[in-house]
Amino acid sequence: FFSQIIPFLVMIASRAPRAFLRAASALPSSSSLSPASTARPQHRNMATEKQLFQQIQSTKNIMKITSSMKMVSAAKLKGDENRLYAARPYNKWATTLTGEPSPVPEGADIADAEFLDIPDNSLIVPLTSDKGLCGGVNSFISRGVRGMCAKLDSTGRKSSVVVVGDKGRSQMRRTVGEKIVSAATEVQTPYNFDLAAAITSEVFAAGRDYAAVVIVYNEFVNSATYKQVYKVITPMSSTGPDESMVEYEFEPDVKNEVIEDLSEYLLCSHLFHSLMEAAASEQSARMAAMENATKNAGEMVDSLTLQYNRARQARITTELIEIISGASAIEG
Amino acid sequence: FFFFFFLSRRTPLHFYTPPKMPTPTTFWRLAGMTYMNYVTRATHSLRSALKEPAKTKAFANSAISYNRSTFDNAVQGAKKEVTKLGQAGK
Repeated sequence: FFSQIIPFLVMIASRAPRAFLRAASALPSSSSLSPASTARPQHRNMATEKQLFQQIQSTKNIMKITSSMKMVSAAKLKGDENRLYAARPYNKWATTLTGEPSPVPEGADIADAEFLDIPDNSLIVPLTSDKGLCGGVNSFISRGVRGMCAKLDSTGRKSSVVVVGDKGRSQMRRTVGEKIVSAATEVQTPYNFDLAAAITSEVFAAGRDYAAVVIVYNEFVNSATYKQVYKVITPMSSTGPDESMVEYEFEPDVKNEVIEDLSEYLLCSHLFHSLMEAAASEQSARMAAMENATKNAGEMVDSLTLQYNRARQARITTELIEIISGASAIEG
Repeated sequence: FFFFFFLSRRTPLHFYTPPKMPTPTTFWRLAGMTYMNYVTRATHSLRSALKEPAKTKAFANSAISYNRSTFDNAVQGAKKEVTKLGQAGK
């Protein structure tokens, strides 16, 4: 009888292993019939496998998104770089008048600078972005402005802030909110000179009696590097001991009006150049961030795939063991 | 009458220049514009004189769009959309 029934049982086991295993588990075995031994580890493994598979799929989707965002940023960076290199020569005259931007020492943080060249009653204009996922461009600027305001306050120098960019506004609202006069957000891209002229009007609307306008922005070095710098732009004077451009003759002979026009144009020119630098820095940071995100997602997919394969193999091994145990029990 | 009128003139009409003002001020500053407003309007006039397709390309570089909000004691006010230079700072 057993020699006839064993092939039949083997046939059933091969065609319906789960049903067979359920039936086999109902037979008394040498192991104790405690609830733990009758637990169903195969169902837990299958649920874990499914969860792992879903995690792998969602991570792969995220990897596709970050990869495409990286390519979009790379294309936009090219355009922003071209605009920046075209704009840089037009700012040379302004740099000659006001001096080079004050960089932060190599390896140091802008928040640790001393800001000794910033006078009392200054208006700080930080340039940040509206969109996120761009690395640390906005947080470096926000931290720098917070440190700047703290250092100015500690030395008795007053300051106010006009923020450009939504990310900077949301961060600086918490840290230096009482100093913010106005904010320009959802700024259209790409930036142009008319936009710089409009932001210059916003700066002037904040007040004309500031001793200096300090523009804080990220300077584009290359596609992998940017650094935080600030420019101090003081208004030019047409009379008195600090009279500007004394070696020039002015036509028409109204130096005060021409100096005022030049001051406005100087600020606008500096703002335009800083906006170009900030835009290129933002795109390069976003490209690097998306590249790192894609690489991390790929590593996560690899580790999850290993876990999934291990779980799958464990499940198969468990099923084989149970089949063989059942067959051995029947033979025995 | 016209013969004697033209003979009596010491300065030919096409060389007539108005007398210099003692302290001339620019008309646009008297009208309340800033230098940047004046320069931008002059740029707009120049761009309007261009022919297509340079005109469309030039005007694409003159778009302004952002939202402006003022702060009062760390409290943000309502946002105002700015699409023209004349609306900026107001």
